[in-house]
Amino acid sequence: MDWLGAGIDVPLIVIRAIHLAATAVMTGTLVFRAVVTDAAIHSSNPVVMIVRAQTLRVAWACLAVSVVSGLAWLLLAAASISGLPFREAMTPSLLSTVVNDTQFGLVSEIRVVMAVILAGCLAYDRVPLVRGLALAMSLGLTAAIAWTGHAGSTAGEMGIFHLTADILHLFAAATWVGGLVSLVLLLSITRRDRTDAGMSFAREATQSFSTMGLTIVVVIFATGIVNAWILVGSLHGLIGTEYGRLLMLKTALFAGMLSVAGVNRYWLTPGLASPSEDRPPVEVLRLLTRGSLIEIALASVIFAIVGMLGTLHPATHAL
Amino acid sequence: MRHSPLASVFATIPLLLLLTGHAGAHALLDHAEPRVGNTVATAPSEVTLWFTQKLESAFSTITVTNAAGQRIDSGKTRVSDTQMSISLRPGGTGTYHVTWHVLSVDTHTTDGSFTFKVGP
Repeated sequence: MDWLGAGIDVPLIVIRAIHLAATAVMTGTLVFRAVVTDAAIHSSNPVVMIVRAQTLRVAWACLAVSVVSGLAWLLLAAASISGLPFREAMTPSLLSTVVNDTQFGLVSEIRVVMAVILAGCLAYDRVPLVRGLALAMSLGLTAAIAWTGHAGSTAGEMGIFHLTADILHLFAAATWVGGLVSLVLLLSITRRDRTDAGMSFAREATQSFSTMGLTIVVVIFATGIVNAWILVGSLHGLIGTEYGRLLMLKTALFAGMLSVAGVNRYWLTPGLASPSEDRPPVEVLRLLTRGSLIEIALASVIFAIVGMLGTLHPATHAL
Repeated sequence: MRHSPLASVFATIPLLLLLTGHAGAHALLDHAEPRVGNTVATAPSEVTLWFTQKLESAFSTITVTNAAGQRIDSGKTRVSDTQMSISLRPGGTGTYHVTWHVLSVDTHTTDGSFTFKVGP
């Protein structure tokens, strides 16, 4: 569907971006819960309990958005494959062929099964083993996205290398963005709570997420270089193609996120442990929340760019 | 006036769309046998095409016509990974037209055509 007269399939790009964002936030929220919230020293702390309940709601909401947008993606992809207008393409025979005879369809089927298991796990969330299974299913839903894009169509041994890098890239990005959403929830609840126990948990969680963030950045950077090497390949590819230019914009936004994360990590987070008179803990929490929201906003633009990159020729093929 | 981060995101999306001139397909023809534009002495029994990405067999096809414009392919395209072939019936000498349409596994379609000659 060419909506802007320039071959740009806006609905497909928007749906892809929404699906990627929802799946990433869902997975990152569950990783944050496993690594930060469930590992909290004072697990009976009321703030910890509220954060757990809120993150579970976020996971449910994101799962719902992920399933709906995933199905919409399948229908739009089927229309795109057929080359027909959307309404004409929605025939049982075409949909059946796309679902049963293409890699995208097979991956979609597997992801639906994982989504159903994840929904069951979230419904019976009190059992630790079930929470572990929920995390595994969510990671699986995220990893499977790699088979629907460029990495899934790269041939030979390079294809395995590309898929591995793409899966790690998706995991790291999801952990960062989903973790930020959970962190904003936690900081907001702590600002309202204003108890010592709540502040202690916020300090512990922020420190823990910051430490995790260092690993995330290294993984995103390393796997991003691998993906760029395979899909862009040269300086000419980076500068002379639409794919390369969008990738540069994505990298600039990533650098912006990194800068804000650096301010949060090295300037604001220490203020929670040793507050000063001119910057009380509540003010630090406010600034940390604002910084995290800016990071989430930048990440949202990155998701829109990733939605577009998936519809473009990789630079190595466009030259 | 205060702007929320979310409002900034929505304001940025149209700009991103303008940055991209076109969206398109992915699997491109790498090479073919008989080679694109070449002349071969005898009519080949099949045409094979190699692409830059893995292909979906359900939506990838080749058609071949001879100099008289008659279809001489078997109608049954064989797809394996990045390679696609079709058997040919004898079609005489002259210019053969090969038309292909492929779907790469990342769900993007590409099509194209080329010619080769049979004869001295």
